[in-house]
Amino acid sequence: MIRSISVVYGIYLLLPIALLVVGSTGNSWTNTLLPTGLTSRWYVDLWQDPSFRRAFTTSLIVAASACVINALIAVPLAYSLYHGASRRGSIAAKIVSAMPIAVPTITLGFGYIIVFNTDTAPWLGTLPLLIVAHAVHTLPYLTNTLLTDLRHLGLERLENAAATLGASTWNQFTSIVVPNLRQSLISGLVMVAAISIGEFGLSNLLTSFQNRTYPVVLLQAFYGATGFACAATVVLLVLACTSAFTASTVAKKS
Amino acid sequence: MSLDLQSVSYAYPGTGHGVQDISLQVNSGELVAVIGPSGSGKSTLLKLVSGLTTGHSGSILLDGQDLTHLPVHQRNMGMVFQNYALFPHLTVAQNVAYGLKLRKVGLSERMARATELLKLVGLDGYDTRNVAKLSGGQQQRVALARALAIDPKALLLDEPLSALDASIRGQLRDQIKTIQRRFNATTLLVTHDQEEALTMADRVAVMQDGKVLQFDTPQGVYESPNSKAVADFVGLSTTLEATVSGVDVIDIGFCTLRANTRGRPIGTRLFALMRPEHFQVDPAEGSVNRLQGAITVERYLGSMFRYDFQVPGAPQQFLVESRQRAIGALAIPPEHVHLLDH
Repeated sequence: MIRSISVVYGIYLLLPIALLVVGSTGNSWTNTLLPTGLTSRWYVDLWQDPSFRRAFTTSLIVAASACVINALIAVPLAYSLYHGASRRGSIAAKIVSAMPIAVPTITLGFGYIIVFNTDTAPWLGTLPLLIVAHAVHTLPYLTNTLLTDLRHLGLERLENAAATLGASTWNQFTSIVVPNLRQSLISGLVMVAAISIGEFGLSNLLTSFQNRTYPVVLLQAFYGATGFACAATVVLLVLACTSAFTASTVAKKS
Repeated sequence: MSLDLQSVSYAYPGTGHGVQDISLQVNSGELVAVIGPSGSGKSTLLKLVSGLTTGHSGSILLDGQDLTHLPVHQRNMGMVFQNYALFPHLTVAQNVAYGLKLRKVGLSERMARATELLKLVGLDGYDTRNVAKLSGGQQQRVALARALAIDPKALLLDEPLSALDASIRGQLRDQIKTIQRRFNATTLLVTHDQEEALTMADRVAVMQDGKVLQFDTPQGVYESPNSKAVADFVGLSTTLEATVSGVDVIDIGFCTLRANTRGRPIGTRLFALMRPEHFQVDPAEGSVNRLQGAITVERYLGSMFRYDFQVPGAPQQFLVESRQRAIGALAIPPEHVHLLDH
């Protein structure tokens, strides 16, 4: 019974992906169950399309930048939340955990539009604003991953030991906390990259024509040939799968 | 390096628990054990000395220097924790060398020192091992080497053997003591294991409810406890309520015993303490302090028997240890009936 449910669910999950792969290699797909003919031209077209190449690069830049910003902010943030939570209840920690669920990207996006479409802060449509938006959106995910690991590791006893050996708070943080968090930091950052690359709602509201991200451009593809749209989606899929696979491999090792 | 605690008091915020008016002195090279039941404040005391807990009143002096306002990382005291607290991301030698790295000792020098210390604790050749792969006893020896590496002014041992198997505990206890002597380290040991305290310490402080009840040599706390609480916590004993009924005579309800009453007036209520090994088995008729009765529960411990001996009319049984089992009588020499006022 469970087995059959799993199989049905697996088909439900994998069928659209399989169809995308089939569609991306099919020559023509109109009014038939499956496409006819075999071709690689959609991928060639995609490669030769400057707007897609540009969007792909933009997506990578945004994701990488979000990772760097998050790494710099989330480690100290999670650390202080971990220590603060033990003293003053865990309200701050709960807010951080609930943020990605409680605040939809569209809310965040509209907020940005209102604030950054003014004369004092006319940064709507710029790449830095997009990067910041992605960083804000993905920060809770990384912070949560780090917080879970901090609670699991019980670093306080190691910090105490380090302190008696002469480590200042800063030394404890750099030589004990950060090295012990490296596994969850890496897996958290891969997750940040995956979310950022696949993110659509926020990017669609905040990008200008110049710096559209891959998912935003991908939407345009669906107004054109089916095969081209499929190929463009498969590229995004491969990228997301690679991230997810890397994240789970790192998580397993830790 | 001597460690001097003067009227140290501390209460955990929001609770009445903590320590009250503790005065202890650990002389240079001396090992002082603090023992007491859980919640007696002994661990709190160690945390205050290490600086991991702050906000006490009174003063803690290390070699005359007041540590009160010195943060934990500047106190230069090596500490060994019950749960080892080794750094999982570092190798054995890197763990030992951690404190030296913070003191900017060069790589080759600190690694050589780590190797030397590991050899000393019997872990020769373990330098590059992963700490998680070591046994509990080995981990604690690494922790000891790590604490000694910083050439500490004092050594603080927080229940260092509690997490270990009994078989390793005795062995490591001797090793710690030998190393402590060799380094002439001024040491404060906190433990709930009285045997550990008695065997390792030069002096023992017995704590209860945040106060030091007695601070004396191991022989002192065992042979001459100053209160029933100390007697109950240190070693096995039979303690009976008694009243002074004459010069060097006490009444224990069901009979009288000879004991040195040290001039206490007749009618003084006190406790009579008897250690199990001081009973004489089947003494001759007419012996002093002879008690007739029979064994109720018997335990064979190999080197001796430990048994409960019921004297008719007695409110509790006498705990006795001897090579031979008593057939029908015991005697307790008057000099081994210790009288405690509280």
